[in-house]
Amino acid sequence: MIRILILLFLNLSLFSDLVLEITESSNQPIKIAILQKNENSFEGQEIINIISNDLTRTGEFDVLSPDQLLSIPMNESEVIQRDWLLLDVDSIIFVETKQSEYALDINYSIFNVSYNETEDKRRVLGLPDNIRQSSHYVSDGLYEFFFGIEGISSTKLMYVAKNSNVYRLMISDADGFNEQVLLKSNKSIISPTWSPDAEDIAYVSFENNRAQVFTQNLASGKRDLVLSSNFSVSSPAWSPDKKYLAFTSTMDGNSEIYVIELKTKKMSRLTENFAIDTEPAWSPDGKKIIFTSDRAGSPQIYEIDPRTRIKRRLTTEGSYNARASYLNKDEIVFVHRNNESFNIAKLNIKTRDLEVLTTTQNDESPCIAPNGNVIIYSTKDGNLSYLAGVNISSKVKFRLPALYGELKEPAWSPFLR
Amino acid sequence: MKIFFISLLSILFIFACSSIETVDVQETKTVDLTTTSSNESVDSVSSIENLNIGEPHSRVYFDYDDDTLREDSLTDLLSISKLMKENTNYTLLVEGHADERGTREYNLALSERRAKAIEDFLVTSGVSPFNIEVVGYGEEKPVDSSSNESAWSKNRRAELYFIK
Repeated sequence: MIRILILLFLNLSLFSDLVLEITESSNQPIKIAILQKNENSFEGQEIINIISNDLTRTGEFDVLSPDQLLSIPMNESEVIQRDWLLLDVDSIIFVETKQSEYALDINYSIFNVSYNETEDKRRVLGLPDNIRQSSHYVSDGLYEFFFGIEGISSTKLMYVAKNSNVYRLMISDADGFNEQVLLKSNKSIISPTWSPDAEDIAYVSFENNRAQVFTQNLASGKRDLVLSSNFSVSSPAWSPDKKYLAFTSTMDGNSEIYVIELKTKKMSRLTENFAIDTEPAWSPDGKKIIFTSDRAGSPQIYEIDPRTRIKRRLTTEGSYNARASYLNKDEIVFVHRNNESFNIAKLNIKTRDLEVLTTTQNDESPCIAPNGNVIIYSTKDGNLSYLAGVNISSKVKFRLPALYGELKEPAWSPFLR
Repeated sequence: MKIFFISLLSILFIFACSSIETVDVQETKTVDLTTTSSNESVDSVSSIENLNIGEPHSRVYFDYDDDTLREDSLTDLLSISKLMKENTNYTLLVEGHADERGTREYNLALSERRAKAIEDFLVTSGVSPFNIEVVGYGEEKPVDSSSNESAWSKNRRAELYFIK
């Protein structure tokens, strides 16, 4: 049984498209060691490997490997402080795993080397067949302890993989494991997005030779066409309460923004303008919608209150600003034309402070991780699209190149708790 | 056995206070459209569905982030207008496209406006709007997928097809 499991993991990693490379690390990564507490087990080592990999992938940790250590304590009382001070280690993480037929119980503690004492103790309780997800929760707990920002190792990514003209809408764990195909099509799939409870997704499919929005339940695979139509429907965005879906359509002859109440199918039109209005995104409180419009001659970001229909323009700098989403109530992230290249930028709505976050070219489809601190987007190298990302607070940059074919349209899941 | 398992799980959940994380398993299903020619569950009324239309009759090119017709495409469009007025049983499909620069959704809207600009021109010249169908593909179907001005200028286009 164990052998079969290992083979399965090997297979998954072989075919996994998401191999992460850190392109720019943190200036001051936190140096830690992760050790099994009291007894060594196969599962315990597997868990530590997953956590080490998660934390290394953030680019903000330097996780020491066993051969770099001077001594290996089995618990806090066996720590020889000078060994660890010599290695300049910040903290030792002790992980104790208890596995029964019904539960996997992971207790972990953070031992501060310079204080020579345990700073925090935490616990993750999961099902025994779900070692990877339970370990990701430990990684997220550790990340939160050190940075005060929630970790995202336990979340999922959705993206479109294109390989010899076959499009696959994929979902995988944030570390690329457990890749699954949600939709396979010979026609383009764009704008995938998660429902706020992560149970459903919406996307645009060209399967009927025209842009149409579908919703799909992840567990059952059941699909619904949002509007059966002879015009294009695109750019879906769920409201934070999941009751409404905002979208773009040309049903009235020109690209406008609409909101549909999913239960009653009651529809309302938000924009009325001869220009392009598209790419709606909801504010975190669901009270505002931002969108792209070229009503002033070039694409810029506007904000609208769906009830009062009062609009205001948010971007003023640059000749091309599009596909915005709220990072928080005061900041938005969008595609910004910067001389000849298209980059991902951040704007503070209040201070008007604009910051270009990426150094790649042809960037598009930015998506914010649920902790509000990592942005993933798609960009191009030669003729092939791949995914790349940037951490806002640490400035760590990474890329997720496809092993073969192309990756695009990333969509980060909400927290899965 | 199962009841025991569930009750044990609920005990575990009761124990789970704020400092403890509980972990759930998520399952997903695949939908494959590549093996079936028609789409089972979804009813679509698109009249251009599953059409194999081959090479376009002609192509019309546009400038960057622009949907206005260039002067050099007007002679072509006038001859198409003439052809359509003489053969009123023809339907013209106008597919709009965009280059890769900028965002996919904006490009989708832009490409549809390009197709619409051709429709508007033809209708103004006397062609019945019922004989024209427009569709936007955004940056999804490039002629040339390189990232340079020569490729971009080829991709900013509308393709015109006659369908019976």
